[in-house]
Amino acid sequence: MTTSILLARMESHPSDSHTLARYVDTGGYATLRKAIDTMAPEEVTAEVKASNIRGRGGASFPTGVKWGFLPPDTRPRYLVVNGDESEPGTFKDRMLLERDPHQLIEGIVLSAFALDVQHAFVYIRGEYPKPARRLQRAIDEAYEAGYLGENIFGSGFDLDVTVHLGAGAYICGEETALLSSLEGRRGEPRLKPPFPAVEGLYSLPTIVNNVETISNVPWIVENGGAKYAAIGPETSSGTRVMSLSGHLKEPGDYEIVAGITWRELIYEVGGGIRDDRELKAWVPGGASAPWFVPAEHLDTPVTIDDIAKHGSMIGSGAVIVMDDSTNMIGAAHRLVRFFSHESCGQCTPCREGTTWLERILQRILDGYGRPEDMGLLLDISDNISPGLTWPPAMTTICPLGPSVTAPVVSLMKYFGDEVEAMIPGTPISVGGVSGD
Amino acid sequence: MISHWSHENQERAKELLERYPEMRSAVMPLLYIAALEHGHVTEDAMREVAELTGLTAAQVQSVASFYTMYKREPVGKYLVSVCTSISCYLSGADDVLEAIEEETGVLDGETTPDGMISVEHVECSGACGGAPAVSVNWELVEGLEPDKARDLIKWLRDAQPEVVFGDEMQLLFGGRRSFDWGPKETEGAIAALPAFAPYGTVGGEQ
Amino acid sequence: MTEERATVTINLDGVDVQVESGQTLIDAAQMAGTYIPRFCYHPRMKAVGLCRACLVEVEGPRGTALVPSCTTPVGDGMIVHTQSETARKAQEGVLEFLLINHPLDCPVCDKGGECPLQDQAFAFGAGETRFVEEKRHYEKPIEISDLILLDRERCILCARCTRFSDEISGDPLIEFKDRGNYVQVITFPDEPFASYFSGNTVQICPVGALTAKPYRFKARPWDIEGVESVSLVDTVHSKISVQTSHNEIIRIYGIDNDATNHGWLSDKDRFVFDHVQSEDRLTTPLVKEDGEFREATWAEAITLVTERLGSFDGDKVAGIGGARSTNEDAYAFSKFLRSVVGTTHLDAQIGDGLDPVFAATATPRAEINDLETAKTILLWGPDLKEELPVLYLRVRRAVTELGANLVIVHPRRTGLDDVATHTIRYKPGTGPDLLRKFAAGDGEYASAREALGEGPVLALVGRTGLAEDPDLAEAVAAFALDLPDAKIMPLMRRGNVFGALDMGVAPTLLPGRVAIDDEAGRSALEEHWGPLPQGTGLDTTGILEALASGELGALVLNGADPVRDYPTPSVAVAALDAAEFVVSFEMFMSDSAAYADVILPVVGLGEVEGTATNLEGRIQKVNRIVPSAGMSRPVWSIIDDLATAMGAEFGATSVEAVGAEITRVAPAYAGVSWDRLTWGDDSEGLVLPGPEGTQPLKHTPVDRGVPVVSGHRVIHTARVLYDDGVMVRNSSGISGLAAAGAAHLHPRDASVLAVTEGDEIVVTVDGEVRLPVVIDPSLVEGTVYVPFNLASTAGLGAVGPLLIDAVRGGDA
Ligand SMILES: Cc1cc2nc3c(=O)[nH]c(=O)nc-3n(C[C@H](O)[C@H](O)[C@H](O)COP(=O)(O)O)c2cc1C
Ligand code: SF4
Ligand code: FES
Repeated sequence: MTTSILLARMESHPSDSHTLARYVDTGGYATLRKAIDTMAPEEVTAEVKASNIRGRGGASFPTGVKWGFLPPDTRPRYLVVNGDESEPGTFKDRMLLERDPHQLIEGIVLSAFALDVQHAFVYIRGEYPKPARRLQRAIDEAYEAGYLGENIFGSGFDLDVTVHLGAGAYICGEETALLSSLEGRRGEPRLKPPFPAVEGLYSLPTIVNNVETISNVPWIVENGGAKYAAIGPETSSGTRVMSLSGHLKEPGDYEIVAGITWRELIYEVGGGIRDDRELKAWVPGGASAPWFVPAEHLDTPVTIDDIAKHGSMIGSGAVIVMDDSTNMIGAAHRLVRFFSHESCGQCTPCREGTTWLERILQRILDGYGRPEDMGLLLDISDNISPGLTWPPAMTTICPLGPSVTAPVVSLMKYFGDEVEAMIPGTPISVGGVSGD
Repeated sequence: MISHWSHENQERAKELLERYPEMRSAVMPLLYIAALEHGHVTEDAMREVAELTGLTAAQVQSVASFYTMYKREPVGKYLVSVCTSISCYLSGADDVLEAIEEETGVLDGETTPDGMISVEHVECSGACGGAPAVSVNWELVEGLEPDKARDLIKWLRDAQPEVVFGDEMQLLFGGRRSFDWGPKETEGAIAALPAFAPYGTVGGEQ
Repeated sequence: MTEERATVTINLDGVDVQVESGQTLIDAAQMAGTYIPRFCYHPRMKAVGLCRACLVEVEGPRGTALVPSCTTPVGDGMIVHTQSETARKAQEGVLEFLLINHPLDCPVCDKGGECPLQDQAFAFGAGETRFVEEKRHYEKPIEISDLILLDRERCILCARCTRFSDEISGDPLIEFKDRGNYVQVITFPDEPFASYFSGNTVQICPVGALTAKPYRFKARPWDIEGVESVSLVDTVHSKISVQTSHNEIIRIYGIDNDATNHGWLSDKDRFVFDHVQSEDRLTTPLVKEDGEFREATWAEAITLVTERLGSFDGDKVAGIGGARSTNEDAYAFSKFLRSVVGTTHLDAQIGDGLDPVFAATATPRAEINDLETAKTILLWGPDLKEELPVLYLRVRRAVTELGANLVIVHPRRTGLDDVATHTIRYKPGTGPDLLRKFAAGDGEYASAREALGEGPVLALVGRTGLAEDPDLAEAVAAFALDLPDAKIMPLMRRGNVFGALDMGVAPTLLPGRVAIDDEAGRSALEEHWGPLPQGTGLDTTGILEALASGELGALVLNGADPVRDYPTPSVAVAALDAAEFVVSFEMFMSDSAAYADVILPVVGLGEVEGTATNLEGRIQKVNRIVPSAGMSRPVWSIIDDLATAMGAEFGATSVEAVGAEITRVAPAYAGVSWDRLTWGDDSEGLVLPGPEGTQPLKHTPVDRGVPVVSGHRVIHTARVLYDDGVMVRNSSGISGLAAAGAAHLHPRDASVLAVTEGDEIVVTVDGEVRLPVVIDPSLVEGTVYVPFNLASTAGLGAVGPLLIDAVRGGDA
C-alpha cells in the first residue's frame, strides 16, 4: 500500500540517513554529477516537465509548467524552497528535512542548475529549529564536499544556499507572503499577478517550490521523468507523503501512490480508528479543505482530481481523522480559530470575518448560541466567499480568508443538528420557525 | 549602538547583513540575535536592528510584531508551548494545557513569578502524528500525556537544564512520535528562541 | 494639456463604453459615471487592493471572478459587473465587516458629514448590526505628534497613511503593528510622527482616525465654506482649498492637480493659516510719536506718508519687498515707486536670492512636470525638504517611482540624500572650484559627472545657503546647459518672489520680463505709466548701504523684514536707524517694522485676491474668502490712495482693474484672464508668457566667474521649514515646531575645539550667538552649519569672518 522513493533511505538506514556519508554511499550526488557533466539545463527541466509532478505544497500546480513561466532573459533568478509547513495536520516536510536533508540539497542543486539560479533560499518555519539545524549541517557538509559553493564539479556553476528561519506565522507559507518575509517585511501576501516566477524575491524572477516537491527532483532526474509519470494515475503522478493524524491507531507520515481509496488509507495505512470507534468525518487535505464523511466519500479514490470532483482538495496531504466521540463544533472552532489567528490582517473580509466566525462558534460552545447564529455563520461565510462554492470565490488577496469557510460550511452541511442542539431554546422538534 | 553585543554576535550580524542580496532581509535573523542579547525583543533591541538595517524603529516594530515568536514582553527561562490546534485538540491537548497551568500555577500567556517558566498555547506545531505535542524553547516533545506534562514541568523546575534537548525530554516524558526521529540530536536550545547556530542560539554536545 | 491616449472598449454593467487603456477599472468606471466604493485606493499612490471594498465581477475564460477594481487594468472586450448579485454581496459584506468594529461615534467625529465610510454605510450598508460580540478597544485618541491625533478604534486599516509616509514622503514613522484582528496603525514609542508632511495623512484618511489638532472640533463639515486658492508659503504655489466656518479660516486642504502639488501639502502650507487670526496681527495704521507707536486713522496715515515721501527727491527714496503678496500688489508697488515717486531703487529680494534676470528669465526654463519625464536630475541648491517641501515630494517621486537619476551637490546631508544616486558635499566658498572639477569629471566626480550624461536633464539650481555667492547658481546653470535636453529651474523660496520680479520689483527688470535697458520696452511702458526715471537702480544691498551712508533718505518696506532676512543684519539695522523716513506695509510688528515711522496694516491669507506666479512662471488665481482683519487693506488699494494723494492718476480702482492693467502693460502677461484661470483651460494655471504674450528677455545663463572664497573655517547657514519668521511665529499650530537651533560641527572641528555633542559654543559671523553643538559628519571639515533665522540664531547673519569659541565652564 505504501511505496518508498522519498523515504527509502531513512527506512533502510534509520541511524544515519541524514549524513553525507550515508547519502553518498547510497548513490547520492551521483545524479548531480551526471547531470552537470552530461546534461544541459534544459534537459533537466525537460525531465521535471515529463514527470508531471504537481506541487506538494498545497496548490498542486504542475512544477514543470511553473518553471516554464520564468522570463528567459532576466537575471539574477532565485529558487526559494518552501519549508514553512504550518497547515494543521501536516508534518511531512519536517521529516524530509530531519531525516534526509541531502536529498533536498541535491534536489536544490539540480533545480538551480536547471533554472540558472546562483542563490537558493530555504524558508523554514521558526518552530522547526531541529529540521533547520539538520539541513544547515548538511549544507555545511555539502559546501565542504564541493556540492555547493563555487564552480561545482569544475562546471563553472556556482550555487549558494541560505537557510532562513521564520518566526511564527502560518501565512508565510503562502508563496508571496514568504517572499515578503524573506525580504524582511511583514509576511503579507502580495497581489498576483505578477506571479513570483515573473516578479518574486526582490522583484526578480523566483521559483517557489515545496520541500517535498524539490526532494523528488533527484529521483526524477536519475530515473527519468517518464518513469516518474508512470507511477500512479496520470494527473497525480509519483508518490506523495501523506500526514495522517487524529483518531487513528497508526498516525504518521506515509508515502503512497495516488489511487487507493480513503477506506484503504484510513483503515489499512492508518491502522483504523483508535479504540475501534466509528469514523465520523475526516479532513482530506489540511485545515483549508472541506471535510469528507464516510457515507459519501469512504470508497472514493485518493487522487487530486477525485478529491476535487467531490468538492475538496488534497492540499498538503494532511488527513485529519475524527471519530464518533468528536465534538464537531469544537473541531470546527479549532480550525476557524486557526485562520483567525493566522490572518495577516490586510483584507477586510479575512481580518474581520474569520474573527467574527470564531467568536460566534466560541459563544455557541460556551452555551450562549442564539438561533439566528446558524444562519449568521453561513451568511458571514457567504460574504467572505460569495456562493460558498469550491474552490471558493475569492474576495481576498490570498486564499486564507476563503479557506475559513471550509470548516464552517462542512459543519453546517453535515452536522447542523449538533449545532442546533448546542443552542439553548432552539425548538429542534419544530425546526424552521426558529431564528426569526 | 550594538557595541554591547557579544563579539560573536556582532560577527554574526555582519555575516548576515552580507549574506542576503538586500540588507533588509537580515531583519528577522537580527531580531533573534537582538532578542538573545536582551532576553526578549525590547525597544532597544528593535532600535538596534533598525540602526543595523537602515530602517526606522517603527518599521522594525512593524515586522517584529507580525511574528508570534518575537516576544516583546519578558519571557521565562523555559517557554512551554502547548499545541492546541486541531490534531492535538482531538488527542486531548486542552487537558495537557490545563495540567501545565495547574503545575506551574500560571495561566496560558503568563510567566511564573520566579521568571522560570512561561506557558502559552500555539497553533499547529507540525507534530500532529505525535499529538498531543508540547515544545520547550522550541525543542519538541511528542505524545505528551497530561501527567507526563506535569512531570516535565517539575523536571524543568528541579533540573533547570542550561540547554534543552528534545531527545532527552522525549525519552523522559514523551510518547508516540510523528515518525522515527533517527539518531540523537547533538544541539539544543539555550533560550526561548529557536536553536540555530547561525543565530547563536544553540548549546551543544549533549 | 491632455495628450491622446489609446482607448479600449469594456462592457460595464451591460453598456459598452470607451475607456483609456492602461487605466484601472475603478477609474475607468468612474469616468463612465459608475462610482465603485473604495477605501484603500488613492489615485496618487500605488494600488494595494487590501480593503476589498471595490470588488466587481469580471467575466473571464474560467467563468466570472471577483476582482478588486482598483488593481485591475481595463482590457479590450472586458465584461464587468459592478452591480451583479455577487458583486453587491461582496461589496456590502466588506462594508459590514468594516462597520462591526467601528465605534460609530459619528456625531462627535471631525469627519462626520464628510466620511466615505458614513456615506457608503448609507448608500450600500445593511441597517442594523448583526454583530453582538465585543468590539475592538483602544485608548482613544492618542497624540502621535504635536499636530496629529490617532483614534485606532475608528481606523479601518486602509494603510493610506502608512503608505503615504513610506512611499510618498519617505519618512516611515507610522506603520502597521501586530497581525490579523489586532493590526493597528501606530508609531514607535517615543518616536513621534514628526514629518513635514503629516497633515496629508489626515486629509487622505477616509475616516476620522487621524485628526489634526489645529482643526479638532473647530467646525462641523456642513457649516464649512471653501474657496480654491494657492499657497504663498513658498514658490511652488500648491493648489489649496481655504476652508472657513463663520468667517474664520479653520483648515486648509490640498487640491489634487497634475501641475504642481498632486494634492499634497507641507504642514507649513497646511497649518500656517491661523497667523491671520493672531492677536498680534496689526489691524489699524500706526504712527510713531516720540519713539512710540500710536493708532491712527487711514486718512491721517495716508496724509503723513504722502507728505513725508513727497518731501524727498524721487531718487532719494527706495523700496524693498513685494514678494509676500500677489502680483497685483507687487505691480502697484512697482508702478508707484517708479512712476509716482520716481525712483529706480526697488528690490523684491533681500540679498538672500538670485540675480533677478537669471531667476525670472533663464532659458530654457523647466516646469515641475518635466520631472515626470526627466532621466537625470541635478540638484545644486537648497535642501528642498526644508525650503521647497512639495518640490521635494515631486523630485522624490521622480526618483523612487519613475526611476530618474538624482545628483545632489550640497554642503551637508539633505532630505533627498537617501534616494540620490550621487551626493557631493563641499565647503561653501569652494563651489566654483568644485564646479570646474565636477564639469571636467575629475577623479572622485567622474561617476557623478557620468550620471549626467543621460537626458532629459533637469537642473534645479539655487543658493545652497545664504553664505553662498548668488552667481554660483547661474554658473551651475550655465554648465548644465550643455547637458542633453537640459532645462533649468532656478530655485527661490519666498512666496511670490517670481511674481514680484515679473512685476519689475527689481533694479534690472521692468514689468513683464523686460530688461531695464530695453528702450522699446521702456517706451511701451511709458505709454501707460508716463515718463520714468532712467538707469539701473540699487538692489537691496545698495539700498541699505546708501541709507546707512545717508545717500538715500526714505524707505518703503512692503512685507519685508531685512533685519531678520538680510544676510548681514547689522547693515540692515544701521540702514533703518539712519533712514530719515520708513513706511512699512505689514501684518505684524516685525523687527524691521519696529523702525518704521508709519506702519500700514495689510491683508493676508484668505483676505487677499489676485494672481501669483510660481517658480515655473505659472500664474494662478489667489482667492479671498474672509473679510479683512480690522482696518487692514490690500497693498494695491493703499498705494492707490497714496498715489492719488500725491496727485497721480493711478487707476487702481479695483484689484480686477489692476489685474487687467498688468495684462496690457506687462508683455509676458498679455492675454491672461482671471476667468480662464478660474474656470477655463488654465484652471491648473498658465505658464507664462500668456496666450497673447511675449517674453522680451530670454536670458541664457552665463558663468560670471564667481570668485573662490577660501577660509580655514567657513559658515554654512540655510533656512529650515519652521523658522522664526513672523508667519510661523504667529501660527499657533506650528510655532512650537521651530527647532531650538544648534551649531553643527564636523567631528574633527569639534575635537580641535575640544567640545562634544551638547556643549555650548559661541559662533560669530555678523553677530554673535551662543549655541549647543551637534556633531555632523555630513559636513566637510572646516564647515560650521547653523540654521538661519531661528529665535536662537537670529542676528548671526551669513556674511562675515567666522569665529567659533568653546564656552568653558565658569565664564558667561
Ligand atoms: C495560506 C497558505 C499557506 C500555505 N502554506 C504552505 C506551506 O506551509 N508550505 C508550502 O510548501 N506551501 C504552502 N502554500 C502553497 C504555496 O503558496 C505555494 O503554492 C507552494 O509553496 C508552491 O510549491 P509547490 O508548487 O511545490 O507546491 C500555502 C498557500 C496558502 C494560500
Ligand atoms: S486573505 Fe487574509 S491572510 Fe490572505 S492576504 Fe488577505 S488578510 Fe492576509
Ligand atoms: S479600494 Fe480596491 S481594495 Fe481597497
